[in-house]
Amino acid sequence: MTAGAWAWVAHLRAGGTTPWQSWTSTDAADEGGYLPGAQQLELLRRLNVAGRPSPALVERVLTASAPGRGRPDLELVGVGEPRRFGPPAVDPAVLSDDELLRVATGLLAAELAAPVEMRDVAGDGPAGQPVSTSRRRPPRTRRFRTRYELAGDPWLAAAHTRQLTLDGRPPGGPGRSVHVLGSDLQTMLAHTWAAGSFGTGAPSWPDFLARVRARRRLPRRVDLPGVVERFGARPHTGRVGVVLDLAALPRLVGVRRLEPVPDVPAHATELARQVGAALSLHVVPAEQAELLASALLPRLARVAGPLPVVPAEHRDWVEDAAFGLRQQLLRARYPVVGDPDELLPTWSEPVEGSVLGLAIELLLEEAT
Amino acid sequence: MSRKVLLHVGTPKTGTSYLQDVLFRNREVLAAAGIAYPADRPDAHFLAALDLMQLPWGGLQAEAIGAWDALAERVRGHDGTAIISHEILATASRSQIGRALDSLGHNAGAEVHVVLSVRDLVRQIPAEWQENVKHRAQLGYGAFLDQVRDPERATRIGAWFWGVQEIPDILDRWGQELPPEQVHVVTVPPPGGAPEVLWKRFSQAFGLDGIDLDLEGERHNPSLGAPETTLLRRINRKANAELAPADYRPLVRELLAHQTLSRRTSSPRLALPPDLHPWVRELSASWIAELGARGYDVVGDLADLVGAPPVAEYADPDRPREKQVAAAAVDAITALLLDDARLRREEQRLREELADVRGALERAYATPSYRVRRALVVRLEGSGLGRGLLGAYRRARGRSSRSA
Repeated sequence: MTAGAWAWVAHLRAGGTTPWQSWTSTDAADEGGYLPGAQQLELLRRLNVAGRPSPALVERVLTASAPGRGRPDLELVGVGEPRRFGPPAVDPAVLSDDELLRVATGLLAAELAAPVEMRDVAGDGPAGQPVSTSRRRPPRTRRFRTRYELAGDPWLAAAHTRQLTLDGRPPGGPGRSVHVLGSDLQTMLAHTWAAGSFGTGAPSWPDFLARVRARRRLPRRVDLPGVVERFGARPHTGRVGVVLDLAALPRLVGVRRLEPVPDVPAHATELARQVGAALSLHVVPAEQAELLASALLPRLARVAGPLPVVPAEHRDWVEDAAFGLRQQLLRARYPVVGDPDELLPTWSEPVEGSVLGLAIELLLEEAT
Repeated sequence: MSRKVLLHVGTPKTGTSYLQDVLFRNREVLAAAGIAYPADRPDAHFLAALDLMQLPWGGLQAEAIGAWDALAERVRGHDGTAIISHEILATASRSQIGRALDSLGHNAGAEVHVVLSVRDLVRQIPAEWQENVKHRAQLGYGAFLDQVRDPERATRIGAWFWGVQEIPDILDRWGQELPPEQVHVVTVPPPGGAPEVLWKRFSQAFGLDGIDLDLEGERHNPSLGAPETTLLRRINRKANAELAPADYRPLVRELLAHQTLSRRTSSPRLALPPDLHPWVRELSASWIAELGARGYDVVGDLADLVGAPPVAEYADPDRPREKQVAAAAVDAITALLLDDARLRREEQRLREELADVRGALERAYATPSYRVRRALVVRLEGSGLGRGLLGAYRRARGRSSRSA
């Protein structure tokens, strides 16, 4: 049946979508040194089902190895004699999404890292330095601007700071006001996880929550009273206050309006997290964060869907922590713009998006 | 182009650390004999293996970027014999192996040999669990054994274990493009034998006989007893959420496991549960028959893979004697206290050094000319015109520093 397997490979190369178990042809086909793994072949079949992968992408899929630990490249069931050694052969149709995702995220990471690797090969930039994918010149700093710094919710603070900087209003300066941004605790936790996933790495959402719970303290950036205390103790700092009503932020930083920060849905953030892990095998951490933010985030920001939801087993402690934050802010009489009740979470049911489906969409985008 | 490349691809826990240490420390002696061991740091081949196999490893992967290609380039640039050695290469996929062989010049005139050092499963199975625990694993021995025995090998533990331990499959993958006489199997002697026997086998397989090497290396991978491994696993369960990989390595793996708990040699040793011996015996027999039939060059004796019979008194690390675990914990706490005391002394020394530096800075700032310049800068920064003048001055001075 080896001839049949090579015929199936040729079929997939030509854009075929027939599953392996339905494949019966043993027509002569080009044979290589060894058959690609079942994971690679099934991923190619799924790509063919979803669109028309380019010849270059087809080759990349067939020669890929999944990064990281996990099951090795598996052989197709029914090819040759039954294996006496090595992992059992499989029907590729029953492979889990996670198995295919390992290959897909490896390919997406290699695609993101390609400009960096080409630069390092060409030697036209210092290795280890962040690569900017944008050729836009840094904006001219406005002479007259409100001095500010944004802290708190890392997703919101980074996005608004980036937006203001592009408008010629970089943060900092002596006497600056510090605005500690916050929202309901579930959203702040989701934003903290997203910031790590698009940064230098994060555990999965369930592991992230389990770690926060085990530590018995909130992440530093969303411990809003702690952030206020830390900034208040810094020299050359003006007013430090908490902002829970984001509609008030433009006025506080001296602009008419700020674009709302798009949220990335749970399954897209999970994809970014996995691509980031694979990307860390190609580039140093600073470049990883830069590439994820500048090259992957704009593609994923278009994806619709809800933020991750705190599962039922974690809701008690998240509610307690949110109430604790609210009480600390009120008792210490920190300046707060907005209603402290905004910190309390409201629960909704989780909506699962397909991480693998999204990865396939992105791979096909590359091909078009 | 190297005429001959000896590629040692595993397996773990077969004396590989000692071999790699000898090769690294004797690079110059080997070079004089025409043998290259291309490495600028002891873990150079480990990093190259991580890079080839695209493996993350607690943040080390950032240091591994491009390491395989750099290593392969050095091998190709050497005119003679080159040696590469790392045990995690055992788990490489066929496509990674194809890339590795190509990059070493396999299809361009180099004669590539694969060397696999192997040890019986009776010792390898408990050793692998212990290695997992030393790398933050929290699962018990029984759970580990269940995953290893799962025929689907669907878990990370099972996939990794067989990837680096299933000798016929490793040699299927690594030997796919090589004639059997270029595949060398080095067996680890049974327990209790003379320690130099294994080195003699390595020396024979790598063609090192007759070279005057310094063999007095200290580097080895010490093993733990059953209660000590249990203690480490409990520490992992408690501390993993808070301890970053960069801290885990020096504090848990080095200070606790290697420098402290491994010295407790009188506690019961980890062993294969007696009820698993028949399964392991049958599996080992099938491997021995397969390897014998393939015609590889065997250095040692394939019968070494049979393994020792069950131990008389089996100590189950999942049901340890709590007294023994507590004694190990006291040793661990003592080691941590002593290390903490050392760090406190170091902190005090640094505080005093910092106070000296601050004093010197304050004396420098106290000069009249510095005070005048500082007052001028503060005054200028208070107005738009002043800031403009300061900016012009700084541009004229040719640097952007804001220091006065």
